[in-house]
Amino acid sequence: MKVTLRTDVLTNNNKAAEFNRELFESTRTLVVNLMSSPGAGKTTLLEETVRALTEKYRIGVIEGDLATEMDADRIRAMGAKAVQINTHGGCHLDARMVAASLAEFDLEEIDILFIENVGNLVCPSGYDLGQNHKVAVLSVPEGNDKIPKYSQMFMRTELVLLNKIDLLPYLDFSVEEARKDLSEINPQSELLPLSARTREGLHEWFSWIEGAYLKCVQQ
Amino acid sequence: MHEMSLMGDILQLVQEDSSQKGIEKIGKVELIVGEISNAMPDALRMAFDLFREQNLHLFTENAELIIHLEEAEAECILCGTQYRPSQKIALCPNCQVPSGKVLKGETFQVLSYEGSNE
Ligand SMILES: Nc1nc2c(ncn2[C@@H]2O[C@H](COP(=O)(O)OP(=O)(O)O)[C@@H](O)[C@H]2O)c(=O)[nH]1
Ligand SMILES: [Mg+2]
Ligand SMILES: [Zn+2]
Repeated sequence: MKVTLRTDVLTNNNKAAEFNRELFESTRTLVVNLMSSPGAGKTTLLEETVRALTEKYRIGVIEGDLATEMDADRIRAMGAKAVQINTHGGCHLDARMVAASLAEFDLEEIDILFIENVGNLVCPSGYDLGQNHKVAVLSVPEGNDKIPKYSQMFMRTELVLLNKIDLLPYLDFSVEEARKDLSEINPQSELLPLSARTREGLHEWFSWIEGAYLKCVQQ
Repeated sequence: MHEMSLMGDILQLVQEDSSQKGIEKIGKVELIVGEISNAMPDALRMAFDLFREQNLHLFTENAELIIHLEEAEAECILCGTQYRPSQKIALCPNCQVPSGKVLKGETFQVLSYEGSNE
């Protein structure tokens, strides 16, 4: 007997993502899912973001890593509430893991929730977590070729933070070429060059967050 | 990659349905896998074989995984050209500007399965 299903393989993830999304909407929480390869600078960027915005917004952070509590500790040191998810070998966060960790937050008391995904340019992009925005971080030392090579990541993100531009003088990375490649993969996506180290360009990122927050609460 | 966990999801979907229908054993499972869906067919096949070996009682003897590949397809919103996208997914080969929209290739579905009570 043949049974036709035609069911999306990620159905259960998508249901959990919908559950998260409804919770975020009802509590007016802006949620940003940050994705990159390991070491691109997600945690450093979040440290700087918390430092700059914590007076104005109540910020929460979910830290996804294979193991350890190290990144959550770095965020807590900046004064924000952080919850660590350890995937124990899992290469991405899924919506069920996020749903489980939401129990540790009072979302009514959070304006902006950042989710730092597991460092990996392939797998995380396929998983809806219920976020408002998917943002990729790419860093200068990774090289220009990462945009076309990992095009499935960049076709699913609406903003790319090009981090570590303080290293541009020492490497052969071309910001122009990155812009062009990105526009040919995803014309709707923006590229913001910045440095979490020297803080150059961070203001544009903060403005982007504030714009997204306004849009989120006005809905 | 995470094809083992994807295969876990796939077989869970199949089993939820088959147990509702009172089906005891799973035969052929058919998937549709899009070229730009992030899932790798070879790794899925390996994962299926492994699952089967570890759960022989759930499968019929000739249980197999059939993968229907869905080619990626995009269409230019300016000139209407349909093309098979390269890495530069939005780049229309005719206009040479990023004006393409993905039509196909992102599907990742369980199409069907065969059940048996022998
Ligand atoms: N030169 C430079 N180094 C940076 C910058 N941002 C982060 N780093 C360094 O890159 C390394 C990895 O950063 P981390 O934030 O842990 O990356 P994650 O794995 O994406 O969370 C650390 O040694 C950071 O100090 C930057 O803008 N410039
Ligand atoms: Mg980190
Ligand atoms: Zn065209």
